[in-house]
Amino acid sequence: MQEKQKAVLVIGAGVGGIRASLDLAESGHKVYLTDRSPGIGGALYQLDKWFPDNQCELCKLLPVFSRDECSQFCLRRDLMHPNIELMPYATVTRFSGEPGNFEATVNIKSRWVVEDKCTACDLCAQVCPIEVADEFERGQQKRKAIYVRNPQAIPNVYTIDREDCNQCGKCVEICPTKAVVLNMPDETRELSVGAVVVSVGSTEFDGKSMQQYGFGRYANVLSNIQLERQLASAGPTGGELKRPSDGKTPKKIAILQCVGSRDWERNYCSEVCCMYALKEAMMLRDRYPDADVTIFYMDIRAFGKDYYRFHLQAKEMGVKFARSRVSRIRENPKTKDLYLLARDESGKSIGDTYDMVVLSLAQCPSPYLNELSKTLGLATNEWGFIETPGFHLTHTSRPGVYVSGSASGPSDICETVIKASAAAGEAAGILAGTQSKAEEIKPAHDHKTITDEEAKIAIFICQCGNEISSVVDIDKTRDYVKKLKNVVLVDDMGFLCQTNELDRVKETVQKSGANRVIMAACAPYHYHRLFSKTLAEAGIGAAQWQLVNFREQLAWVHKESKILATRKAQKMVEMAVERLRTQEPLKTTSVKVTQSGLVIGGGISGMTSALELASRGYDVTLVEKTGELGGHSRNLFYDLSPLDPQTLVEDTIRKVQNNPHIKVMLNSELASITGHAGNFRSEIQTADSKTELVKHGAVIIASGAAEYQPTEHMFGRDQRVITQHELQKRLAEGKLGKPETVVMIQCVGSRNAAHSYCNRTCCSEAVANALKIKELSPETHVFVLNRDIMTYGFRERYFTKAREAGVLFHRFEQEKEPEVKTSEKAITITWPDPALPGSLEIDADLLVLSTGYVAEGNEKIAGMLSLPLTEDGFFKEVDVKFRPVDAVLDGIFITGLASAPRNLNERVLQAQAAAQRAANVLSRETLTSGMVVSEVDKRRCSACGLCVEACPFDARYLDADEHYAVVREELCQGCGACVAVCPNDAAKLRSQKDKQVFSMIEAVI
Amino acid sequence: MTKSAILEVKEGKTRQAVNSFLKDLFAKNVVEAMLVPLAHPSGTNVVQALISDPSHVDQADVFAPVMPVNSAKILQAMTRLTPVDRKTAIVIRPCEMRAVVELIKLKQIQPANLLFISIDCPGAYSTKDYPKFAAEKKTSDDFVKAGFRWAEDAQLRAGCQICEYPYPLTADITIGMLGLEPGQLLLIADTPRGEEALKTAGFTLETDSATAQKRQAALARFVPEVKERRKKFFEKTKEEIGGIEKLTQVFATCIKCQNCRAACPVCYCRECVFVSPTFELESEKYMRQAVKKGGIRMPADTLLFHLTRMNHMANSCVGCSACEEACPNDIPLLKIFQLTGAEVQELFDYVPGRNVEEPLPAAAFLEKEFQEMGEKK
Repeated sequence: MQEKQKAVLVIGAGVGGIRASLDLAESGHKVYLTDRSPGIGGALYQLDKWFPDNQCELCKLLPVFSRDECSQFCLRRDLMHPNIELMPYATVTRFSGEPGNFEATVNIKSRWVVEDKCTACDLCAQVCPIEVADEFERGQQKRKAIYVRNPQAIPNVYTIDREDCNQCGKCVEICPTKAVVLNMPDETRELSVGAVVVSVGSTEFDGKSMQQYGFGRYANVLSNIQLERQLASAGPTGGELKRPSDGKTPKKIAILQCVGSRDWERNYCSEVCCMYALKEAMMLRDRYPDADVTIFYMDIRAFGKDYYRFHLQAKEMGVKFARSRVSRIRENPKTKDLYLLARDESGKSIGDTYDMVVLSLAQCPSPYLNELSKTLGLATNEWGFIETPGFHLTHTSRPGVYVSGSASGPSDICETVIKASAAAGEAAGILAGTQSKAEEIKPAHDHKTITDEEAKIAIFICQCGNEISSVVDIDKTRDYVKKLKNVVLVDDMGFLCQTNELDRVKETVQKSGANRVIMAACAPYHYHRLFSKTLAEAGIGAAQWQLVNFREQLAWVHKESKILATRKAQKMVEMAVERLRTQEPLKTTSVKVTQSGLVIGGGISGMTSALELASRGYDVTLVEKTGELGGHSRNLFYDLSPLDPQTLVEDTIRKVQNNPHIKVMLNSELASITGHAGNFRSEIQTADSKTELVKHGAVIIASGAAEYQPTEHMFGRDQRVITQHELQKRLAEGKLGKPETVVMIQCVGSRNAAHSYCNRTCCSEAVANALKIKELSPETHVFVLNRDIMTYGFRERYFTKAREAGVLFHRFEQEKEPEVKTSEKAITITWPDPALPGSLEIDADLLVLSTGYVAEGNEKIAGMLSLPLTEDGFFKEVDVKFRPVDAVLDGIFITGLASAPRNLNERVLQAQAAAQRAANVLSRETLTSGMVVSEVDKRRCSACGLCVEACPFDARYLDADEHYAVVREELCQGCGACVAVCPNDAAKLRSQKDKQVFSMIEAVI
Repeated sequence: MTKSAILEVKEGKTRQAVNSFLKDLFAKNVVEAMLVPLAHPSGTNVVQALISDPSHVDQADVFAPVMPVNSAKILQAMTRLTPVDRKTAIVIRPCEMRAVVELIKLKQIQPANLLFISIDCPGAYSTKDYPKFAAEKKTSDDFVKAGFRWAEDAQLRAGCQICEYPYPLTADITIGMLGLEPGQLLLIADTPRGEEALKTAGFTLETDSATAQKRQAALARFVPEVKERRKKFFEKTKEEIGGIEKLTQVFATCIKCQNCRAACPVCYCRECVFVSPTFELESEKYMRQAVKKGGIRMPADTLLFHLTRMNHMANSCVGCSACEEACPNDIPLLKIFQLTGAEVQELFDYVPGRNVEEPLPAAAFLEKEFQEMGEKK
């Protein structure tokens, strides 16, 4: 057998691809990250802000350990990790092999621009005579045939769209670095990889095909992406909402849901649209408080963690809701206003005129997915998404090829990120043994000691062709900075980023004996990596050089006055000189990692996490408080799929019990836990009341939740009132019989004041049970009383099936809950259905309550680990979207019902993701700090503890005698919160010390 | 619910009554030591003393209108490294008590074994003025008899005149006097520890007695009064010192001796950043500034020093006016710090010294705080 390959191919560089790549890279695997677009980012970079707080926070995806290895810039600006090779503009053309040994041929399309030479100066685009619609802005502005996909694209180089180019050669002529080469050939790469993650995303539904809404014909009908782009500050309208017809700010806006989904052709729910519609409506209300915003919807499917609160928040912010599917839009040809034909549930017309209509277009398979699926040999489903057979939502029909994100069906960011980590885990599992330790990447340490030698500073100024030199007087700047203390030489070059110039820099530094360097060029995310490498070769370490941003912070913003711009240039360099003069050596520190895990909870989530970690070779202790494994999943007999949950559960239990890496401790509980990422010590109270000490590097909390015990609707007072779980059990055991009428009530104990969240699982459970009743006893009448039916994604099919099978779905309003009366004869349920006049009354033989889960017992573990809980008592994660399984403290991960209610296959997925995140810690022999971390001046420290309180990473504590604070450097992220809160400069940040900063301020004022 | 006992005052001799109570604490072994203000033999001052011999209690003069040092500072020195190992009564004024609470939060005072006794405070004169008061043969009994005259007695320290909380917020035992008939003091147990101490000392505690209710009523009257008084004071202060120009004028007489910092009970740093190497600059730095601006005030950073101090302790300023007392050049520091302090504290809904469990604003993390500085509430 061939030796396994160590690398993974990730196809698609949107949020899923980025997450999967970073996870793989962090756990020590080489990644090829390809994207068919000229720049990475996918749909992610088209959006500015998102749930839950309508901020960006994309940077939360970045690694927290060994952070100097990868870029800590804005993730919209760059993505760099030594283990990740970015391959934009690339498609897989041939694929063969077995899991562990695949061969992929990748065609890297030529941009007709040499990447290393392009400085993104835009001169080419300015002379290009060809204008086409800008796809990134969804046609809301024009771009040239030579273009960047989006502002600050990654990589930030221009690309010629060969379809559009007429080869006039103007760009070739004007390019100052001779970067444009027409008809430059494509490149082909042969990659040997062990596994593949497909994360190519989706595309929005073609709105034009729904003629009744006039998309593409009526100027003021926008797609949701067009709206997002308008609201983006870098978008076509600079962040202002404008009617395309007249540029006016619309006052009355309608958002239409389910455009291209939940219809006969696409009988699935697009899953993400309700949440982004809520977000967009809130952003509109926030930005334009006078705006009248109405969402037209069928069900508001805010089913995820904290989504329901978001829905309530939108209501509070004055967003209007109309439960109605709009039948048609008519445009007033003169005013271009839009008249919506719509009726509410009761059939009353609610038609009205709006200034703008936004269509929530469904997620559809990417148009390129079909071809890719064929190349990779993947089965697709009836709509063209990648088929995921079985319970594992990342598994495709081809072993070794995994899927993440919306390539396999509609997914929001949170689900995509979870899927991506899980897929990364699956891929890493295939490669297990090839690379179980993170590759040690040596950061460029200070090659020459800073303290021993007097500073000799070399300064290199980039003219950036004419871009900088046309605004800044280079000669005057050079003359000024030459006279500054410790400066030994000043040089200027045409393009500092070009290889030949960098060779010159290297040579000059070495010859001159300079031990510090200033590069006055452009923003750090462009060439930091390149400069860093060049200077390291010349013996200049990370602490010994400084980048000064002349292009973005000077040339681009001070064109109006050369005198002032030059003055600023001088001062910027002077500040850098001061910084380097006062710079001290930087170093990293490391602590050893205990490379084993602890999993709390032996339900399906805990077991799955344990198995994942074990499959990677880590020892795991699995602690379960009851006497058996399986948890709530033991009571699941049907799901909305043809698969049998019990086979999964039994199979998982068997695997756990037989795995030599897993130590199962039944009837045991966590008694205490101390320590931090990499090194925890836990005491486990065992069945025989003894305590056992376990050392571990990461902990996964999968402690589950409790079934809600209803007090509503006569439950417990009448035997004929049962829960869905009980019904499912009776159905599975064949004990239901043939009741005449079964009524189900949804949202019992959820989406109310006491439990302000959607339980996510109950609608699926109700539909599954209803279908089962109809299968076993077709003549039984089944009624499902609901507020919104949450059959998101492909679950929608079963909702349709249930209706086809004759299950009747009736709505009720939260304020008018069904009334239940029992008599010997029957259970009588009375409620007003908003679609019908008066009240309905049904006599049922069986009343089934959809009860879901409530948080239970989380306070104890949360208390031991100082973790926060949500208002509903579930564990809180760092960020609900970008780090959905990470607890607020590093090395601790949350999964399963302890996090929030989820369906069975989603719990498996999340557990895999949690395991992968834990593996990112466990795969390292040591945790290495960044170079810029905080430190303590013991003499000055008053041990007041403010810094300990302020530190969000638990990276500070008071020493045992409480005489001074101490830093855990491997956990410190260098954020400086401690410095801000410390009154007397006893807390310092390396490389940002008061004295150094004061020096710089002195220099500039 | 107030649990209290009446402490009788015979012939207007408040001092004697209080001292007999303090003696009882020793006698009944409630405490073994006491930090208490004793009359200095010179007669020109009343100073805190840590006593273990009960006979010294005779010199105690708790209501004497002088407070040379804010005792929180003393307790910081005493207990920062280790808590006291024997039961000790700490007899202090309400503003001292509030500063103690702030320092407990800042881990500068370890309260173990300390029994805090505080008073309804009629105020204090400047340490400079007290000898004049004493020279006129006036006693603390006379001072108490005159009643609470914060608003009228222009001789009182600036902080006393606008004091918002001249009654203890968190002591174990309060020696209450507000709103009571002459001839009566009220010993109020504010904590279980205080209750136990009073019981052990032989007092029978009554719940919500008529006397206690009287005091409560007086407090209720007092709150709106002081609010109004402070409002007027702040308005006037804003006129006097508002704006950078007037502020610069106010600090014209500053010699940067840093006495204000040394005296401030909540300026708790072991070594102030302004005396640390951070501010030790090479001559070229001074010269450079002088060249740039044509000239700079020396010693340098005088205003920066005050602004930094304000930034550090505005949230915890208890308004004791120790800073103003310490200033050799009569800079109205109390005004400046109370004005700033009150506004900042209101912003964070924070009252320094209100509750030891209440986190310092700098140590509290709230998900929804103001989005940006200066944004309206």
